Amino acid sequence: MTSRRTAEGGLIDRSRPLQFSFDGKSYQGFKGDTLVSALLANGVRVMGRSFKYHRPRGPWGAWIEDPNAVFNVTLDGAELPNCLGAATMLETGMEARSVNAFPSARFDLKGGLDLLHRWLGAGFYYKTFIWPDWHLFEPMIRRMAGLGELNTDLIDGYASDQLHDHCEVLIVGGGAAGLAVARAAAEAGQDVVLVDDHDVAGGRLYQLDSVEGQTPRDWVDDQLAAIEAAGGRVMTATTAFGVFDHRLVGLAQQGAFGTAPRLWRIRADRIVLASGAIDRPITFADNDRPGVMSLDAACEWLARYGVLAGRDIAVLSNNSFAAPAVRMLARAGANVTEIDPTDGAIRALGGKRLKGVEVAGKRHPADTVLVSGGMTPLVHLWRHAGGKLDWCEQRQAFLPGATPEGMAAIGAANGSFDLDHALAEARAVARHEPRPDGTGTYRLTPLWPKPGSKGRQWIDFQHDVTLKDIELAARENYVSVEHLKRYTTLGMAPDQGKTSNMAGLAAMAAIQGRAIPEVGTTTFRPPFVPQPIALYSGPHAGQLYHPLKRLTLEAQHRAANAALGEYGGWLRPGWYGSGDPKFHIRDEVVTARKVAGILDASPLGKIEVIGPDAERFVDFIYYNTVSTLKPGQIRYGFMLTERGHIMDDGVIARLDRNRFLISCSSSHTDHVRAHLETWRQDGNDPDRIFIHDLTQAWSTVTVTGPKARDIVAALDIPLDLSAGAFPHMTLHYSSFDGTPVRIARVSFTGDLSYEISIRSSRAADLWQALAAAGEKLGACPVGIEALSVLRAEKGYILIGKDTEGETMPHDLGFGIPRQKKRAAFVGDRSLHMEGANRDDRKQLVGFSVEPGAPALPVGAHLVGEGERPRSQGYVTTSHDSTTLGHPIALGLLERGADRIGERVTAWHQGQRFTATICAPCFFDAEGERLHA
Amino acid sequence: MQLFPCPFCGPRDEHEFHFAGEAGKARPDTTRTVSPEGWAHYLNDQRNEKGRVREVWMHLTCSELFAMERDSVTMEVLSSAPLREDAQ
Amino acid sequence: MRDDRHRWAAHDGRWPRFDAQGISLATTEPERQTLISGPSILSHYPGAIEWPDIATDDSYSLCLRRDRILRVNGLEMPDGWNQEQEQAVSDASDAYTVFDLSGPKALDLLKHGAELSLQKPSRSVARNLFGFGVFLYRYGAEDGYRLHVPRAQAHPAWQTLTRQAVRL
Repeated sequence: MTSRRTAEGGLIDRSRPLQFSFDGKSYQGFKGDTLVSALLANGVRVMGRSFKYHRPRGPWGAWIEDPNAVFNVTLDGAELPNCLGAATMLETGMEARSVNAFPSARFDLKGGLDLLHRWLGAGFYYKTFIWPDWHLFEPMIRRMAGLGELNTDLIDGYASDQLHDHCEVLIVGGGAAGLAVARAAAEAGQDVVLVDDHDVAGGRLYQLDSVEGQTPRDWVDDQLAAIEAAGGRVMTATTAFGVFDHRLVGLAQQGAFGTAPRLWRIRADRIVLASGAIDRPITFADNDRPGVMSLDAACEWLARYGVLAGRDIAVLSNNSFAAPAVRMLARAGANVTEIDPTDGAIRALGGKRLKGVEVAGKRHPADTVLVSGGMTPLVHLWRHAGGKLDWCEQRQAFLPGATPEGMAAIGAANGSFDLDHALAEARAVARHEPRPDGTGTYRLTPLWPKPGSKGRQWIDFQHDVTLKDIELAARENYVSVEHLKRYTTLGMAPDQGKTSNMAGLAAMAAIQGRAIPEVGTTTFRPPFVPQPIALYSGPHAGQLYHPLKRLTLEAQHRAANAALGEYGGWLRPGWYGSGDPKFHIRDEVVTARKVAGILDASPLGKIEVIGPDAERFVDFIYYNTVSTLKPGQIRYGFMLTERGHIMDDGVIARLDRNRFLISCSSSHTDHVRAHLETWRQDGNDPDRIFIHDLTQAWSTVTVTGPKARDIVAALDIPLDLSAGAFPHMTLHYSSFDGTPVRIARVSFTGDLSYEISIRSSRAADLWQALAAAGEKLGACPVGIEALSVLRAEKGYILIGKDTEGETMPHDLGFGIPRQKKRAAFVGDRSLHMEGANRDDRKQLVGFSVEPGAPALPVGAHLVGEGERPRSQGYVTTSHDSTTLGHPIALGLLERGADRIGERVTAWHQGQRFTATICAPCFFDAEGERLHA
Repeated sequence: MQLFPCPFCGPRDEHEFHFAGEAGKARPDTTRTVSPEGWAHYLNDQRNEKGRVREVWMHLTCSELFAMERDSVTMEVLSSAPLREDAQ
Repeated sequence: MRDDRHRWAAHDGRWPRFDAQGISLATTEPERQTLISGPSILSHYPGAIEWPDIATDDSYSLCLRRDRILRVNGLEMPDGWNQEQEQAVSDASDAYTVFDLSGPKALDLLKHGAELSLQKPSRSVARNLFGFGVFLYRYGAEDGYRLHVPRAQAHPAWQTLTRQAVRL
């Protein structure tokens, strides 16, 4: 065993052993371990196979920056894919499986793929698009590449809670700087939230012997106690994964394994970024061998988890942090040799088992090689917020530059790597005082990838991108960092290049002979570490993903055996009865035509326009002239967009001089209301027009059919229902059982119809009464499906079904207002533009199909003759009409109105159908039944 | 997520708002002759500026239609005022 | 054309009182809700409830917009335009289902659904809460809240609130 648990030390609780397994083998760790630290303590080193070449990989980093130890983890039946082993806290009973390896990371059957690497370089897949044929390679690549496998079983109760909150100062990172700034700000009376992604705050402090005269543990505990005593909040195991507009910070708070993290959306007056820095790899031949690890990670494993990474350790570091690290490791019992990595070419020795390192031709035997190529500040959130980065030559790193409003960066995230300096900086920032001068004692010798070097030198461990891939991309002219990223997939793995982007762009800079800041960085995007989608969906899942609007009469419909479905955002009866809907729908149509149908029309919009300018306003909003209506009269009309296209249709009733009732389509109510409000306040006098949406205050039951009058009369409504006293397209007030009702004679079926509206709390009584009266006469409830057959027979359109995005009213045969209306109205000028005047516009027509022939498929293209006929329009509605004894259809067809009587071919998925073009009305063209 | 200042309600979550167009475009008087070019300009031409922009938004919960100035690069909101006073 | 009757939980527009985790939720039925709009409506009805005012009387007005209130348990008024008062009036008693929410965790629950704070006043009580357009204000006590939810969305709103409440 190369790595092992030390006899003492670390933050783990040695009194609480935890059992777990990895690739089927059982191990023991302690409370406070991560999966990776526990495996290292057990001497396990190979923890995964690489994404593309299936090379054996061991952990590189001790926390979220580790690209290699990616596991599928199962606990109590909950399986989560692609867990970062280095940042997954150990729980007893965990079963971890390495990803992309079978049967195990140590013995991977596809390990031989690595031998093919010469042919699998950057852009391999893209090139197969051109030659020979990507279809040959895609299935193989899909099988072989990739990370964890998705388990499609849902985890019970895996849903994120989402909370909104606010604070004055939000501090990201609970290391030395973060703790110091939080304490100072909290003690100055500010409302502080400190966020740290570890279970135990303190960052890298535990690597030190003392902090301001205390042990690191005591110092951290003191700061936390002081912050909380001053009213500050501390959130551990919580990742600030993104900074969004107007200083909204997204936090993912981890709970027990297998539960979804909780999402906090915290709006902060000020954000202090104290997210620290990570050690970066050195690029050399076979630098991905298990046992080549981050020097800083080895110190973390030792300090936090009491794990010594190796026995005979070679340290390759180009910076001044090496000395204390070497002392720490040596004191823990390791045999440490320091080697200058800037001496010459470097190569790792050995394979699955590391044997040492060769530098400038000299071999250094070792079981572990710890490398440090310099610190890279974690500036992700700075960039999310729109902050700029400046290149620091001395520290060879991008540091926070121009500051986004209300944000500050401190500590290692700001390049302040010395403890004293970071603490002074933090306290100054908390008090809005000038920061201390100087840059500290950190020194390093620049050390970046050397193009042209021998061997396979890994840049991106998680996506298997090598220095040669970058050279290839440069040769093929993918030199911009954003192109480089996509061509080679550098930095596109789940870790988003935390350890690889710097080396990748430095390599590109070296290849082109440019300076690193000239090459620049790719865009930093949230989330900082991968988050489950459930975090974002929160409670909006299942029935609450897109909750439907519910009818007041739903219980009555269910009692009547209704099949409910979504229609325009409402849950409505499609038909009544169980089993094959076809027969129920046909029966409903037949009954409605012979006797009567009873329909819940409650979702129809009921928007009132009230006020002294209401009359002028509805004339402006409608294509048709509405102001000529007298109180109690109703008109059918269109609302247009300013482009002249039909936005909605429906009837509008004048209730009295200053009050109109707009009955817009059920699914468009919210849209129409916003449309009306916009025009009311833009260009009209909003003090003289008011818009009240009362759609849900009222429920509407429609009785339609030849016996409709008899059914309504049975309710004892004190009203003369005769055609003379109550003609088509008029409205009357009356009462039902002591409750006021509004009765409109409008029809969407072509038959005599009464729409009775009553306050929703009385709707059930009205429905019951009509259903009972109807039943005596042989009527039945009808659903939306039967209604859509009935309306199609009459040639009544549904907006959005029988119209498309360019349909204008004259395409439907409603051309008169376009020619005659004088007042201005929305969309008026568009009706006379060149496009509106074209003679090949698609116009609404009907299609009559011979009895016995199949109905036209909806969506079928109407085509001319020839081998490759052009589409001239399409079928929008089609039904086999029992009423008429043959199939009928509606559709939009170029020059349709001039082609009545012609035969037409409809083409659908290789099949041809024929029909005769006719006027879009198949039933009661004279309107006798309508006006009965 | 942005916070937009409704002139009536004060700052609210961006989800409560709806973009209604660039500010400053007057509807031509269509009872008089409007050239096709003039109408096409009204319908189609957008400034789509980078930086300081002035736009019309609706606060859907209270239906306030208002003009908002903001920076389309930094997303900073500079001002908001009800459209109705604007028109007067 | 799908039969989804079993996919959507049945409801009959009634909800039993819910008590859990320091939260009480129940429906209440004000006798009358009246939408009143007018150019100077807010000066006609001074004291209309804003956020975070606490409504205490049986009869009160909610400030919805600069030119609209919702009168709760006011006098019966004829619908339509009142020329003398310059007011548009509509009875909206059945347009909104009203929930009373109270308890020490009530505000916590509400914070799940909106960026909400007692320290951030707002003139209108109209808000987007869990994606529903509601009127939300404090009622009766420091930790009492009342919500007017559009009638057709009362069922999913109730489901959302109770499901979230048990997770607090």
